Amino acid sequence: MAPSPRRSRRTLITVVVLVLVSITLITFDERSGTHSLTSGIRSVAHDVFSPVVAGVNDILRPVGDLFAGAVHYGALQSENQKLQRTIGQLRQQLAERPSQARELRELTALEHLPFLDNLPTVTAQTTEISVSNFEGDITIDKGRSDGVDLGMPVVGAGGLVGQVTFASHHSAIVQLITDGQSAVGVTFGSKESFSILDGQGAGNPLTAQFIAAHTRLVRGETMVTSGLSGGQFPSGIPVATVFSSHATLGATFEAVTARPIANLDQLAYVDVVQWEPAP
Amino acid sequence: MTPRVVLRLGLVVVAVLVAQLTVGLDLRIAGAHPDLMLALPIVAGLTGGPRLGAVVGFAAGLAADLFVPTPFGLGALVGCLAGFTAGRVSGYEAEHGTWVMTPVVALFWSAAATMLYAVLGAVLGQQQVLKVDLGVVVAVVAFCNAAVSLPLRALVNWSLDRRSSPWHAELVTGDRP
Repeated sequence: MAPSPRRSRRTLITVVVLVLVSITLITFDERSGTHSLTSGIRSVAHDVFSPVVAGVNDILRPVGDLFAGAVHYGALQSENQKLQRTIGQLRQQLAERPSQARELRELTALEHLPFLDNLPTVTAQTTEISVSNFEGDITIDKGRSDGVDLGMPVVGAGGLVGQVTFASHHSAIVQLITDGQSAVGVTFGSKESFSILDGQGAGNPLTAQFIAAHTRLVRGETMVTSGLSGGQFPSGIPVATVFSSHATLGATFEAVTARPIANLDQLAYVDVVQWEPAP
Repeated sequence: MTPRVVLRLGLVVVAVLVAQLTVGLDLRIAGAHPDLMLALPIVAGLTGGPRLGAVVGFAAGLAADLFVPTPFGLGALVGCLAGFTAGRVSGYEAEHGTWVMTPVVALFWSAAATMLYAVLGAVLGQQQVLKVDLGVVVAVVAFCNAAVSLPLRALVNWSLDRRSSPWHAELVTGDRP
C-alpha cells in the first residue's frame, strides 16, 4: 500500500531537517571557533563510554582471541618465529648498546638538540585500534588527567608511533604516522638532508617528500625527527628506514618510500612523550 | 513513536555502539572491520520505513561520530541518507521475503553508504579517505553488515514492539506474512 501524501511529506520534512542539522554540525566542527564545542562533547562521550567498553572488552576479548587464534593460526606461528629471531638480534644489540648510547648523547649535546631520554613520558595501554575504517589511529587509556595533551608525540616498539590528536580526561586518540593526514619532518644521512614523511594509509609505506633527485640514499638508512623550529616533534626520534628510492629522468625530486621502525601492528603499550609542539 | 519505542530504540543504538567498539573492532579482515552503526539504520529503514530509517541513521551516525576523528556530523549525514533510502525499498519485501531482502539490501546499501562516506570525507578535505584501500573496506563492510542484518532486524523489531513482525512470523511459525 502506498503511503499517504501527508505522511510522505512529513517523512521528507524530517529527512531534510536531519540533513540540514548534520551539515550544520559539520560546519561547526570545521570552524576553529566552534570546534571546541564538538570536541568537548566528544570528550564527555569518551569519558562515559571508556569504562563500559573496557568492561565489555574484558569479558569478550578472551572469546574473540580464541576465534582469532583459530582463524589466524598460521600467521601466529610465523609471527612467533619472527619474534624469536628478533629476540636474538636484540640480545646482540644489547651487548653493543652502551657505546652507541654514549656516542648518541655526545652527538646530540654537540648539536644542542633536546634528548628524548630527558623528557618525561607517560606509559599507556592501547584500548582500541582504528575505530574508523578510514583512519589510522589508536585509542589509549591515558588522558588529560594523566598529563597527556594534544600534539604530544607517542613512541613505542623502537620508534615514533604518532601524535596525540584528541585527549579527553581519561583517554586519548593517537594519529599513527601511517595515517593519510600524518606528516613528520625528518632528517637523515649527514643530518643535512631534510624531508617530510607522509602517511599513505595503514599497511602502506610512508613517502618522503622534497628529497632532491639523485640524493644518495642507502636502503635501511634511518630517518629521525628533525625537530626544526616550529616542528611537531622533538628531534632525534627514529621514525622510519628507507625502503626504496628512484628518480625518473628530468624529475626534480627523488621518489622515496620508507617503512616505519615501530611495529604499528603490535602496539599493546606506548609511551606518550610529555613534549608539546611550539604554538 | 511512543516513549517506550523511543527508549528501546535508544537502548538498541547504545548496545550496537558498544558492540561496534568492542567485538566489531576485533573482527578485522584485511585491516577493515564491519560498520554496525551503518547496518542499523539500513535495517531500521527496511523494518519501519524511510522516516524511522532516517531518524535512527542520524542518531546512530551521531553516536559513531563521537568516537572518530572525521568531521562531527558526517556519520549522521550518511546514516540518515542510508536509512531513508533503505526505507524506500521496504515495500518490496513482501514480494521477495525478509530472509532474502534484508541481507541483500544491507549488502548493497552498506557498500553505497561507505562509498558516499569516503566521497564526502574527501570533499571535506579528509585526505586519509583517499589513501585507504576503498575496495577492501567496502567489501568487508558490505558482507559483514549483510551477515549481521537479520539479528539487527530482530533487535529493531523488539524496539518497535512488533510481536507479529515478519521476522517473528517466519521464525516462529515458518509462515510468510
